[in-house]
Amino acid sequence: MHFDLIVIGMGLSGLMAAKTASEAGQKILIIGKGMGSLSLFSNTIDVLGTISKAMNMEPHVQTTDTNPKSPWGEHPVPEDQFAHRQVSGPLGTRMNDGLSQWMKNRPKHPYSKVGLDRIKEALSSYISLFPPPYSFQTVGNGNCLIPTGLGTLRPTYLIPITMVAGTSLKERDGLIVGFKGFKDFYADYVADQLNCRGLTLSLSETFNKEITATALSRLMENEPFRETIGREIKEKLHGETRVGLPALLGVRESWKVKKDLEEIIGAEIFEIPILPPSIPGMRIFNRFKEWLIQKGVTFLLGHFISKTILKGKRCEGVHVHNPPVSYLYSADRYILATGRFVGGGLVANEKKIFEPIFNLPITQPESREDWFRKSFFDDLSHSVHQAGILTDSSFRAINEKGEVILENVWVAGSILSNHHSVDEKSREGIEIATGYMAAKEALKHGA
Amino acid sequence: MKIQTEVLIVGGGATGVGISRDLSLRGIPSILIERGDFTFGASGRNHGLLHSGGRYAVSDPEAARECISENRILRRIASHCIEETEGLFISLPGDSFDFRDQFLRACEETGIPTTLLSREEALTLEPELNPDLLGAVKVPDGAMNPFALVLENARDAEKHGAKFILHTEVTSLQMNRDKIKGVCVKDLINGEEYLINPSYLINATGAWANQFLKLAGLHIGLALSKGTMIITNQRLNQRVINRCRLPSDGDIIVPNDTVSILGTTSIRSEEIENFEVTPAEVSLLIQETSKMIPAIQETRLIRAYAGIRPLFQSEEKGGHREISRGFTLIDHGKRDGLKNFITITGGKFVTYRLMAEKTSDLVCQKMGIDTSCSTHLKPLPGISEPSKLKDRLKKIGQPATAGGGEILCDCEWIRREEVEGVLTEGKLKDLQDILHRTRLAKGTCQGGFCIYRLLGVLHDLRMTRGDSNKMLKGFLEERWKGIRPILWGPSLKEEEFIESIYKGIFNL
Repeated sequence: MHFDLIVIGMGLSGLMAAKTASEAGQKILIIGKGMGSLSLFSNTIDVLGTISKAMNMEPHVQTTDTNPKSPWGEHPVPEDQFAHRQVSGPLGTRMNDGLSQWMKNRPKHPYSKVGLDRIKEALSSYISLFPPPYSFQTVGNGNCLIPTGLGTLRPTYLIPITMVAGTSLKERDGLIVGFKGFKDFYADYVADQLNCRGLTLSLSETFNKEITATALSRLMENEPFRETIGREIKEKLHGETRVGLPALLGVRESWKVKKDLEEIIGAEIFEIPILPPSIPGMRIFNRFKEWLIQKGVTFLLGHFISKTILKGKRCEGVHVHNPPVSYLYSADRYILATGRFVGGGLVANEKKIFEPIFNLPITQPESREDWFRKSFFDDLSHSVHQAGILTDSSFRAINEKGEVILENVWVAGSILSNHHSVDEKSREGIEIATGYMAAKEALKHGA
Repeated sequence: MKIQTEVLIVGGGATGVGISRDLSLRGIPSILIERGDFTFGASGRNHGLLHSGGRYAVSDPEAARECISENRILRRIASHCIEETEGLFISLPGDSFDFRDQFLRACEETGIPTTLLSREEALTLEPELNPDLLGAVKVPDGAMNPFALVLENARDAEKHGAKFILHTEVTSLQMNRDKIKGVCVKDLINGEEYLINPSYLINATGAWANQFLKLAGLHIGLALSKGTMIITNQRLNQRVINRCRLPSDGDIIVPNDTVSILGTTSIRSEEIENFEVTPAEVSLLIQETSKMIPAIQETRLIRAYAGIRPLFQSEEKGGHREISRGFTLIDHGKRDGLKNFITITGGKFVTYRLMAEKTSDLVCQKMGIDTSCSTHLKPLPGISEPSKLKDRLKKIGQPATAGGGEILCDCEWIRREEVEGVLTEGKLKDLQDILHRTRLAKGTCQGGFCIYRLLGVLHDLRMTRGDSNKMLKGFLEERWKGIRPILWGPSLKEEEFIESIYKGIFNL
């Protein structure tokens, strides 16, 4: 079957590329092994968590004392505590200024290749996919801090409505709620770190042995269930105005789960990101999937490319292996958005790192000895994270001489070189911006 | 605080704990102090190989004789800590049969039973062996659980009146002309300092022997040798596989429960504590051991680690492989005029009991007491517990409905109840103490997930000490030492995953 564009990879960058191209009326096939890092790490949209301290987040959290051990302690209380949460433009002024200054010193970074204006367009496009009630928003005009499953605070940029109340959590004014038998969240652990109170609920006997994140979030979608736990939380509330729960408030209609619980309990509810899998990430995936299918995009989830057909500097087709048969799909243009090691976009053997689908060259450190630093928490990022595919300004892979390797293959997402998304806290931002940009560039080139 | 004791043993490795048990069975009271947890040094950082002695038969017959004799004793007294696997010494193309003949003669002379196997016989026993092998010699090697063995010794010693003080270090010694009178110690958890007055002092600090002796202004000829090992994600061999040649790098593969351990290197080291395993050492071990079992090239590795062997140098010899692996017992009364002071060091894990016996004999001689050793006759307490892997797996594999709470460690199937049991037993002072006593963090993810859950359970039980996130960081940094050198393939994938969790989601 022939398409205008085949997107390989179903993480955020691939989905964003498919969305962008689909809006231009292209006939698209998207192929993916899985949901990429969406189902694992993406709870919110990071753009750049590490912009210089001066430019960084407004401290949205108030501290009631100056306990040096408190995670709030490091952040001064601002004079005018932001009074209302507003959806500002795609980049608030702090983020806009911080990012543009940051990019100046990093010409090779994927953000610099995309450029500030296109980053804004890409983020707007993303935001537009999530109309209320389950919308994404900024809090203030820079990064905000959200509490995590370790009781730490984490800077991030766009957050879903279910996490907003967490950004204004105050010491001793929060109740953190966990569930007995759910091993990936410990209310007391989080509460101890945040100087709040913890509460571990026992679910009905059946569940006390063990329950998973997906099962719990499905249960949350069940009205009688959330009524029961809502009433129990209300009973045990000691006047706290905010209640934090692990980010499991339903795969679907989580805004409604939040609203219902708030009505029963009489306090603001917020979700706290936890160990994978990421239920908020699945919501993002499901929304893209629903939208893309509605737009007529062909969606092949759970499939992988077994072979490519290359002719000169062009890709002529890809084999999708679906035992016992292989299908051949062809397109005028291709976008490679297969992620890094976790996603399978990059593979390492004992000696070197390679890209398994097109065998595109990977910029990487000289030897394995240099991949990782001797300390895990070294101030500098591990060099291996910078490895990836080098592209020209139009996001096509290039070799050492700067020549384009495949004229009709564009590259997007975390597989690109010259970023450290985990340390920068820029993962989703890079995925959204480069997915958008690779599609735009691909569209420029006629068949 | 001042404590009086007959014998003070410094060092909670196999030797120190062995001495403690030996003395307790002779009715002599003792206190053992250890800076960390039991098996903090080489006792916890070795192959877990129950040597038949074959490895040293040619190069060091005395050590070989000690090995085979202790091997037989341990099978009797500690069968629950041992898997009787047998071992093969295999000859590969290029390995000389002259050496094999020499090996067979040396085994005969040192009393190590051997069976000569053809290529086909060896392959039938161990299908993963290199099919090009020329032949093999079977010897009574085995696999053991060093930590369990040491804990069992401690348990028995405690039952007979011995005392143990962990996480406590010696800070200085008080001496008069011919005796050590007082030992100043410091509790490393609460910082408390106090004095212990022993009648006799035993230095069983292994690789730290000279560091300890420095407190008395003494020094002995001790070479430190770093040995590096790698743990595979699955068990590749049923028997210990040795290369039939003079001991060299990467010529042993020891099966251990569900994994295999590849080893080892021998590199002269000056560092006892801050040593690292490099990616290059790992590559060397894989290159060498995969000549014996080619599947190693394709096998996932879960961790690399290293230990420091203390090797006694009686006189200057060439390389460190040639220094005897035998042990040495020093009577500082004779040597240095400190009548109540003894040092025991060198040796192999397998000979810990013999080392303890000889040390205790010397103590008794100094005390003028005539009692004899019985550690070779009396089995260790837990001997009736299931020891075979199959039986233990049966116990572990009980269905979830049998209770025990949620599974905290998905790699090793550790249930909450088991962890809570270890926690409430008490005496545990830090995270590593807990990890030592369960299989948590020993599996494929090396604690990436279960460490968080363990800290969570500690909070649930209100048993945390200090800042959990700081402990978590400390754990991840320690974990890093073991996995950094093996990061490629699926291990690298998992590493990216773990880093994305802790540095990403959790902003640690």
